[in-house]
Amino acid sequence: MTDPMLEISDLQKTFGGITALDGIDVTVDPGITGLIGPNGAGKTTLFNCISGYLAPDAGTVAFDGTDITGDRTPEIVREGLVRTFQIPRELADMTVRENLLLAPRGQSGEALTNAWFRGDEFAADERRTRKEALEMAEFFELDHLLEEPASSLSGGQRKLLELARVLLTDPEMVLLDEPLAGVNPTLEAKILDRIHELESQGLTFLFVEHDIELIMEHCDHVVVIHQGRKLTEGPPSEVRSDQRVIDAYLGEEL
Amino acid sequence: MALADFLVSLVTFIAIYGLFGLGLNVKFGFTGLIDFGHVAYFMVGGYVTAVVTMPAQITGYDGLGGYALPALLSAIPGGTVLGWLLGVAIGMLAAAFVSLLVGVPTLRLREDYLAITALGVATILNEVVLSEVWLFNGPFGIRSIHEPAAGLFPLGLGSFTVNLLVFGGLSVLVFAYATYRVANYVRHASGRQRTLAVVVALGFAAWYFVQPLIGASNAVVTLQTNLTFLFDPNAGPNGGLDYDRFFMLLSLAFLAGGYWWMQRTINSPYGRVLRAVRDDEDVPRALGKETFRYKIQALLFGSALAGAAGALYTIHIGFISPEQFGAMITFFAFASVIIGGTANNAGVVLGTAVFWAINSGTQFLNDYFPSEYAVQLSASRLILIGIILIVILYYRPEGILGEQDYDISLPGEEAANANVAGPEVGSSDASTGPEADSSAASTGPEVGSSDATGGPTVDDANGGGVDD
Amino acid sequence: MVSTGLLDALAQGLVTGSIIAAGAIGLSLVYSIAEVPNFAHGDMITIGAYLALVVNRPAEISFLPGLPGGAISLLLAAGFALVAAAILGAIYELAIFRQFRDRDADLITMVIVSLGLALILQNIVLFVAGSRNIKYDTATVLDVNWDFYLTGGGLTVQRTQRQAGEIALVGEWGYPWWLLLGVLAAAIAVGYGVYRWRSTDADYRTQHLVSPRVLGVLATAGIVLALGFLARLDPVGTDAIISTRIGTSRKDITVVLVVGIAMFLLNLLLKRTRLGKGMRATADNMDLAEVRGVDVGRIQIVVWVIAGLLAALAGVLAGWNASNLNPNMGFTLLLPVFAAVILGGIRSPYGAAAGALVIGISMDVGVYLLPSNFATYRIAIAFMILILVLMVRPEGLWGDV
Repeated sequence: MTDPMLEISDLQKTFGGITALDGIDVTVDPGITGLIGPNGAGKTTLFNCISGYLAPDAGTVAFDGTDITGDRTPEIVREGLVRTFQIPRELADMTVRENLLLAPRGQSGEALTNAWFRGDEFAADERRTRKEALEMAEFFELDHLLEEPASSLSGGQRKLLELARVLLTDPEMVLLDEPLAGVNPTLEAKILDRIHELESQGLTFLFVEHDIELIMEHCDHVVVIHQGRKLTEGPPSEVRSDQRVIDAYLGEEL
Repeated sequence: MALADFLVSLVTFIAIYGLFGLGLNVKFGFTGLIDFGHVAYFMVGGYVTAVVTMPAQITGYDGLGGYALPALLSAIPGGTVLGWLLGVAIGMLAAAFVSLLVGVPTLRLREDYLAITALGVATILNEVVLSEVWLFNGPFGIRSIHEPAAGLFPLGLGSFTVNLLVFGGLSVLVFAYATYRVANYVRHASGRQRTLAVVVALGFAAWYFVQPLIGASNAVVTLQTNLTFLFDPNAGPNGGLDYDRFFMLLSLAFLAGGYWWMQRTINSPYGRVLRAVRDDEDVPRALGKETFRYKIQALLFGSALAGAAGALYTIHIGFISPEQFGAMITFFAFASVIIGGTANNAGVVLGTAVFWAINSGTQFLNDYFPSEYAVQLSASRLILIGIILIVILYYRPEGILGEQDYDISLPGEEAANANVAGPEVGSSDASTGPEADSSAASTGPEVGSSDATGGPTVDDANGGGVDD
Repeated sequence: MVSTGLLDALAQGLVTGSIIAAGAIGLSLVYSIAEVPNFAHGDMITIGAYLALVVNRPAEISFLPGLPGGAISLLLAAGFALVAAAILGAIYELAIFRQFRDRDADLITMVIVSLGLALILQNIVLFVAGSRNIKYDTATVLDVNWDFYLTGGGLTVQRTQRQAGEIALVGEWGYPWWLLLGVLAAAIAVGYGVYRWRSTDADYRTQHLVSPRVLGVLATAGIVLALGFLARLDPVGTDAIISTRIGTSRKDITVVLVVGIAMFLLNLLLKRTRLGKGMRATADNMDLAEVRGVDVGRIQIVVWVIAGLLAALAGVLAGWNASNLNPNMGFTLLLPVFAAVILGGIRSPYGAAAGALVIGISMDVGVYLLPSNFATYRIAIAFMILILVLMVRPEGLWGDV
């Protein structure tokens, strides 16, 4: 068994009387893991606590062996753990190209002194950044929109931009918060292929989607959470026929 | 005084306040920080440079220093000027340092709290300088301001005719070049921009060349004096370049330097991050950038530029006292930046020119009114500016020139990624001097501009409701 | 020899705080309902003060030569100023802020717009009245000193006043210890009783017109003053253990009373009228309020009218109390007013009033406690308190929800 990429133990988070996370334990191994649960189960709160947007009240989060509990988002991102947002946040006043150019890491030109005193590294980094951004834009079929302000994109295009940007940071693990809602089926298939490809190159994914079939089809492992706690986990075939899972979802619908 | 002298003073003011405005543009235009205390750094820079370059033991001065830096370095050729430059650098560092002290605790406040806090800090600092005589002589101010290279002026090149030809000729060249640039702009512009440019150009010509001829005793001499504005017939025995004109050129050089420095900073990956911070700070954070560091650096850089402007200001006025640095000065800079074009360095200079043209350029109107109405006239100018500010915010919030285009020019390249379909990223490179931004005239959605007009309507196909 | 001390500073602070409160309450309403951090509020105060000046001393207004009729009494002038300022408030909303709100202008834009308005208002005042100091044409009010001597026998109170160039004793009486303690005990008992009376059988739904605590405190103070007036006995000597002087004048008392009444009226409006309910609903959530039938447009006008009115009140009171008007008077109050609002929570006019009292008292007590050469830092003190609070709690004392 390889070492887990992400280990969450006994995480607690309460806001204003509502307990969103109630001692949740999740271990994510390398590969593609799906995270499902009815509305209100705590999926987005879990993501927020892992990625530094919220500090958990108790419990720990460890990424690739390092304790990142309560760390700040930029630090966590630099460790290699990134996330997408369910409602994409693009930089509305900047072009699609500039949104993408922001993402790649290790751009020496982002330091003030390097911006002033430009060495060879400056030009090389910028060229590399532009190339990577262009390639990513072409893959996500956004290259014809590069010069448009990001605010003019459709909802689906924004989701693509969000995902493209996050992938450009060359992460080790990505938390995907419903990345495919509003995306057309052909592109969706293409993205899923890419996710598998990246996974085989060593990226780990934790995937939240409402489309349970999608999760079952593409994930090696599925974790079900309910009311802030882990309900069960296992390979898709087991989870889909687990009575507790069915009850949790049915109960939710009523 | 002759209109030429007035123009020289006006241009110097525009250069100084333009530099001050550029400093504000770093903080507000590009990084989105509302620093209502910007004038504090203007004050710190002015005072520190003055004190560092002042000779020691000045009678009537009970504050810290003077440290006589130019005198210390006078042994080296060009030492006094070097000493002064060093003094300016120290002033800039002091301004940056003060902004660091202010910024670290306050930058995490939300925008309107930051605004009021910054205003409060500037008010307190002003009060301190005013009350603590042991610091910088309190309300009595400093009257002995070191003027760099003052000994060289008035500068004459020989006979009256030579001076007239050389400096007069240069003046004519300046006007000719300006006319050329304006004509070029007018040819390429269209619509409202073009009308505005024509009106402004003709207005200036009318004010500077035509208006003085009315009631002038000798029309030809008046015209010639105004045309050859760089030549001052009273400077020295044979006329020539006097100190005021030299200082105007020095200030313009500082402005150009500041402009170039800013363009270099903004047209870079660093500038990208700054603008991302302005847009939505959480996004660069989600991509691993330490946004607090960027905000602090923007604050330091902008304050340093303000400090340099302050150093120039004290020389131009000839003395320095705390009353010169009221909160209103910051607001004037905000008005200039917003009117001319937020996040547009050329716009800031334009806005400053507009502001001071209205505020000082209309001084000649005073002659048409009885003198007891002076207060009323200056008040009406500011009322007009307040109205213009509100109107611009309503009809054209991005300012006259709009946000500038960004381009990172790499050695051996034309424009960024020429193999992309669609309009090219405009090439406003790091050239000196305010350029009329021709892309501001285009009517379609602007590349990288802040008015997000065109493009397909945003339809949110995001079906899923808000998850847990 | 008796001199002013901490109590006097507190009393002064109460007056300062009341004036700041008049401005702060208006600003708080504009902040929470109109969502404008109004940097023009200081100059609205100045405009209010000068509106009264224009009718009170038209001859002094350099730009308006020979207004018809003579001067009007300050009281009537104040009334005129309030009405005019109210109308101006409506104009600000209709001509300026509504237009920007309809365009979904962001916070920064609103700030700069208010800055533009500030520029205009300040210079209108300069235009009309010039830049020198001026004061209202009204009766001078004499200061009265209350000297307190705490002696072995009890408390002696002397009332002194400057008459014909000398300080003359105008009244003297005393309270022996048993009376003193009795009165205090009675006052506290009554105050507490009032508090308990108002807060029993109240549940979470009850909304008191005046909170039981405030009522209790006011009752205590009222009893102290009433009994203090009624139960005056012979003085018990002036060889005091401690003594202090409080300088007051009818001006001070008037200022505090007027602002108190204004606060009560506003309170009445907010809690007992439909308009007030609409205002509170709009402050919570403008869109939701609109959906539920609140005429948000009318509310916005009312908010600016009230803000203008209160700012003018602050201006007239400030100008009268200081016997001095100048075009900068409002702008110097801007910082303490903002400090009070942020301190008290931008969502609550009551918080703003409380914040204003805190700021006012700290300003005057601060000046008292610091060595005399720091007296010019009076405004800076207000500001330092704000900075300290924001450092500890960046979202303000009550949070900006």
